[in-house]
Amino acid sequence: MDQRVVHSCYHCGARLPPSPVFVALDGRPQPFCCHGCATAAQWIRDADLGDYYRLRSDPGARVDAEAADLGAWDGKELLAEHTVPVDGGCEITVLTDGMRCAACAWLVDRALERTPGVLDAGANAVTGRIRIAWDPARTRLSAVLGQLSMLGYRPYLAGDPAAERQRVADRRQWLLRLGVAGLAAMQTMMLSEASYLDFGHHMSVPTRDLFRWFTLLVCTPVVFYSGWPFIEGAWNGLKRRHLGMDVLVAGSTLLAYFASAVATVRGGPHVWFDAAAMFVFLLLLARLLEQRARRIASAQVDTLARARPVLAVRERADGARESVPLSALRVGDIACVAVGEAVPADGELLDPQALFEEALLTGESHPVTKRSGDPVYAGTHCRETPARLRITGIGTATRLSQLTRLVEQAQAQRPPLAQLADRIGAVFVGGVLLAALAVYQGWRLVEPERAFEVALSLLVVSCPCALSLAVPAALAAASGALARRGILPVRAGALDRLARVTDLVFDKTGTLTRVHPVLEAVEAFDGMDEARACALAAALERDSGHPIAAAFAGEEEHLAVESLQLVAGQGLAGRIEGVDWRLGLAPFAAGRADDGQVWLGDGTRAFARFTMREGLRADAADTLRALRALGLTVHLASGDGAAAVERMAAILGIDDARARQRPEDKLALVHELQARGRTVAMVGDGLNDAPVLAGADVSLAMGEGAALAQRAADLVLTAPELMRVPAAIALARRTRRIIRENFAWAVGYNLIALPLAAMGRVTPGWAALGMALSSLVVTLNALRLMRRSREEHRP
Amino acid sequence: MTILLMLIPLSVVLLAVSIGAFVWAVRKGQFDDLDTPALDILRDDPPATPTEADDDAR
Repeated sequence: MDQRVVHSCYHCGARLPPSPVFVALDGRPQPFCCHGCATAAQWIRDADLGDYYRLRSDPGARVDAEAADLGAWDGKELLAEHTVPVDGGCEITVLTDGMRCAACAWLVDRALERTPGVLDAGANAVTGRIRIAWDPARTRLSAVLGQLSMLGYRPYLAGDPAAERQRVADRRQWLLRLGVAGLAAMQTMMLSEASYLDFGHHMSVPTRDLFRWFTLLVCTPVVFYSGWPFIEGAWNGLKRRHLGMDVLVAGSTLLAYFASAVATVRGGPHVWFDAAAMFVFLLLLARLLEQRARRIASAQVDTLARARPVLAVRERADGARESVPLSALRVGDIACVAVGEAVPADGELLDPQALFEEALLTGESHPVTKRSGDPVYAGTHCRETPARLRITGIGTATRLSQLTRLVEQAQAQRPPLAQLADRIGAVFVGGVLLAALAVYQGWRLVEPERAFEVALSLLVVSCPCALSLAVPAALAAASGALARRGILPVRAGALDRLARVTDLVFDKTGTLTRVHPVLEAVEAFDGMDEARACALAAALERDSGHPIAAAFAGEEEHLAVESLQLVAGQGLAGRIEGVDWRLGLAPFAAGRADDGQVWLGDGTRAFARFTMREGLRADAADTLRALRALGLTVHLASGDGAAAVERMAAILGIDDARARQRPEDKLALVHELQARGRTVAMVGDGLNDAPVLAGADVSLAMGEGAALAQRAADLVLTAPELMRVPAAIALARRTRRIIRENFAWAVGYNLIALPLAAMGRVTPGWAALGMALSSLVVTLNALRLMRRSREEHRP
Repeated sequence: MTILLMLIPLSVVLLAVSIGAFVWAVRKGQFDDLDTPALDILRDDPPATPTEADDDAR
């Protein structure tokens, strides 16, 4: 641990620059990568929140030394749109990307609580959301957020505040329904037990009625409050003339409830409150389990808010700059984009030259040089030099929005597998209802007083509880197992489709390869030795923030660079130990013809040539081997040129490799495979992959890729480990097997229980118990998925 | 059996109380974040250093 501390920043864990900042904490000097981190750590220590460093499981986010301009957060327009009034002030929910573990949420909570003027604050590490209630009379929002960004948590506007509140309210409502159902159903069972245990019928009628009235009282909230989603669902289904599970659930619950209520008032022989209450509780539990797994998964990738900045810097006619909300930006405005920032809207470049990273939109892995008048797209990132743009397209007119629409269209075309399950369910439900009716009529002829009870037993015992539990329970268990391996199923049904996959289409850049290039070969000339050349290059690149810098990141050298200069699109120049060096394209660095490689020189003479290559991910070969072992066919479709793609295909032994693929081409490839009856999985990361991710039968997105790609994907890999893809497929197949077992059990159970119930051998109470046991078996079987995968996890 | 007249309503009252407590807890957001508060207990008591001076928040 101590050795790490020497090489990495105490706060953010980043590699230390040659001249780190040392600040004494607790009497011991600690190294920091920049003044921002040092200030944050000092503040944390001074506020006696130093436990943060002990509690956290991941290093913090790097803190920018220069405070961001948060003035726009005080704008009336923004406040009116995004805040809600609370007692004594306003409340806003902001998103942040720096929160990595619970300790961050803890730190943010404590830090905000101590900020004067803040009434209430709550941070949630799982969803990355911070709720701040503050008193505008005592402090400005920008001051509060300044405190946050000083600690490294840069605020972003969360989506629609009404939707945010709705989310929280929905979640609480479900929790309330489940809690009420659990508590009251337990009590209902206990009260019902009294009559079950009265084997010899010794209980007097008034005592029995007393029990019944109280059971009625306790059961009512379960049926009508907790069970409301089922009743509502059934009502909506009936309005659309559709028989879903909800119809059967709500139907048998209400039937059992009202028949019991009538029996209670009239003094009939039987009541079935316990069946109704247990029914609602168990089904609610199953539904909640599935919802929870899905919500955690989607919250972690809900990063679309970050694809485009919320605030833009606009240049006024007098040349002064102001920070404005994106919604205030108009066509014809001049926007300024700082280095590393995302472009707020489509526009044309006003500067003579600037570099933009368009990886998100085009899949092109290197920053693209744009000249004056060239189009620049929203969502791309500005590199190396700040840029000024004249806005030509805003809002829905941007290329980003068009791609978003493409995704939505592709999603709408997705084969509606869920509807198939619904149709089967509807047939089943219809069959059960008809059978119950037939049994009721039959018993009316034979033994009229038992007709209702037998029909009810049939409804309850045959309720597709195990059937409807079988899928969600197995999926929830599998989701949990997947999440522990760093795979987030974002959409329901993804696992089911993943299990049936026969073909995999890989994107190249960012998927099979790392995002940044690696150094392949170094050639040194003119008495320069290779190690020295690497050291010089590493020193020059270190602070440039250029993607190529990552290639030299492994070189441990602490040469001091003076007067470092970035020359856009060319390279960089700097003075090391009294000598001027240039690193970059051949004409710039060495005065030679450009060969696409990186040169080190003094402007006229060449000293070294660095051959860069896209780095294959370390586990790419193993992954492909594992995928073939699973019997899958692998395809490669990349936006890059033919040479790079062919080399990659040769290394990995992929037969079907296609170069220069536009998103439309990739989508066509997927459709072509689908037309041949294959089930296609797409693995990608870029925004350009979003349409094809949505069009494939099942899609996986890399967690470090574009937010929009993740939105379109069915599963997201949280860390760039390709081995997780075969792991996910193996788990999906096991899940499918478990689901089949569950179905077999549910069908087998019904084959035995239905005739028994129709013959009148099952009372509604026993029916409910049988149904519950059947559900339990199914759930336990599903939980095996978690246990087995954990065993597998051990090496 | 008259004891039932007291015990059953009592159980219903207890149920109502527990549901009320649950509703209160949910409304207060006690279940919104189940991870962060768990860290509080791991926190050491502040050491007897001068930094204790700004320990007012706890």
